[in-house]
Amino acid sequence: MSALIEIENLSVTFRQRGREVRAVRDVSFSVAARESFGLVGESGSGKSTILRAICGMAPVSGGSIRIGGAPAATGRAFAARVQMVFQDPYSSLHPRRTVDATLAEPLAIHGRGDRDARVLAALGDVGLDASFRFRYPHQLSGGQRQRVAIARALMLEPEILLLDEPTSALDASVQAEALNLLSRLRVERGLTFLMVSHDLAVIDHMCDAVAVMRDGAVVERLDRATLADGGAQEPYTRQLLAASAYAAPV
Amino acid sequence: MSLLEVEDLRVTFDTEAGPVEAVRGVSFSLDRERLAIVGESGSGKTMTGRALLRLIRPPGRISARRIAFDGVDMMAASERQVRALRGRRIAMVMQDPKFSLNPVMRVGDQLTEGLRRRDRMGARSAREKAAAMLEAVQIREPDRVMHAYPHELSGGMGQRVMIAMMLIPGPDLLIADEPTSALDVTVQAEVLAILDNLVRERGMGLIFISHDLRLVSRFCDRVLVMYKGRVVEELAAGRLEDARHPYTRGLMACLPRIGGDRGPLPVLERDEAWAR
Repeated sequence: MSALIEIENLSVTFRQRGREVRAVRDVSFSVAARESFGLVGESGSGKSTILRAICGMAPVSGGSIRIGGAPAATGRAFAARVQMVFQDPYSSLHPRRTVDATLAEPLAIHGRGDRDARVLAALGDVGLDASFRFRYPHQLSGGQRQRVAIARALMLEPEILLLDEPTSALDASVQAEALNLLSRLRVERGLTFLMVSHDLAVIDHMCDAVAVMRDGAVVERLDRATLADGGAQEPYTRQLLAASAYAAPV
Repeated sequence: MSLLEVEDLRVTFDTEAGPVEAVRGVSFSLDRERLAIVGESGSGKTMTGRALLRLIRPPGRISARRIAFDGVDMMAASERQVRALRGRRIAMVMQDPKFSLNPVMRVGDQLTEGLRRRDRMGARSAREKAAAMLEAVQIREPDRVMHAYPHELSGGMGQRVMIAMMLIPGPDLLIADEPTSALDVTVQAEVLAILDNLVRERGMGLIFISHDLRLVSRFCDRVLVMYKGRVVEELAAGRLEDARHPYTRGLMACLPRIGGDRGPLPVLERDEAWAR
């Protein structure tokens, strides 16, 4: 059986004023259905660009992206299968739309009925009670906003969630709640995750395997066991590992 | 005598719904060391830093039994006296370069403004000094950066420019508010090494405001943990894992660990009594 997400020799090139920037260089990996795969790397390493390329939001200059064996497309059918949760819940929700309007929009676009029941169910799924339904984003905390963003991504019951640093704008205790929520939803709905983070501990907690990126290319691949045993070879990975540890006891 | 002594610092905002205390009775002293203030957003850590420079605007107000910096009574000092200390002897690196650098002024002009106006230095020597400081914060092409506007720099570069700007006058006390949270680990390590060097070699005092417990445990000497405007625990940074306060323990427990089990992360249960 082939994997649900197959990325083969993917390259993304941005052209700006005659200058070319190869943001992603020959990246290949695949994610099986119901698996969770992580991408780590510093800013500018191309990890978010891969997520954007999957959604058709970045100029692919080479290679292929296949979802469920077929070339990734854009448009409605694709949106119903693949959804994204963005990093910053302060900018990814429309400031002048209520939670209700935000959650109902995908239903309207895709002509799905039963609006009220679905919106209420979605709020319940992410642990928000019905009183949040007619609030605006500025009336929510960062953690509550990210729950709304997760609820919005799940409105169309997709198979795949692309998670772009979903908890890096959140406090530690709120991050824990959001990660628990994502883990629970993954099991309940059989979701497949492709998650980007700069925090190796978060990736380790959420993902079965991880690719470490630098300058647009994958420099190292690790599974959980190798990571836990200190099997990381790349100096950059080791730096990330050190950043997720406490001081050695004196 | 310590470099800085703070007793019973309070920051209050008068709102329509009555006074809100953002900082409630914080006391600590600082020598030429690296002191961390950690806590979640809203815990009052940034307000504490700003209050030390008397940078709280109305409707906020500061009160304290005592704030003494190198023998100077900061609460009794006139605005003029405080202004003479700000920048020159006490500097603060703000959190976000996007909002803290002047967007319509070239980096070089911002870096040399203080030298030229405060120290009446000539244009050329001011630029040389600024370029040297950019090199000290590991910026490889100081001339290019001096000519750039802030939007032309990455977050990490902007952060280093701000640190360079604050270090030019050679302050005795640096208050750094999340100075590395926008940086990648590689750049973060460089910036921390610069700060560390200043504490060791120049005997600067450093107040390092952060939400990252793991980072401060590696980098700082002492940690104050704040919750709702109060210091709930103070301990040696290297002994953070021996923390006793349930808030500190809760904060540490809810962070995922490499190789940890993948069950649900413990969620922080807050207790009203901690804030009392």
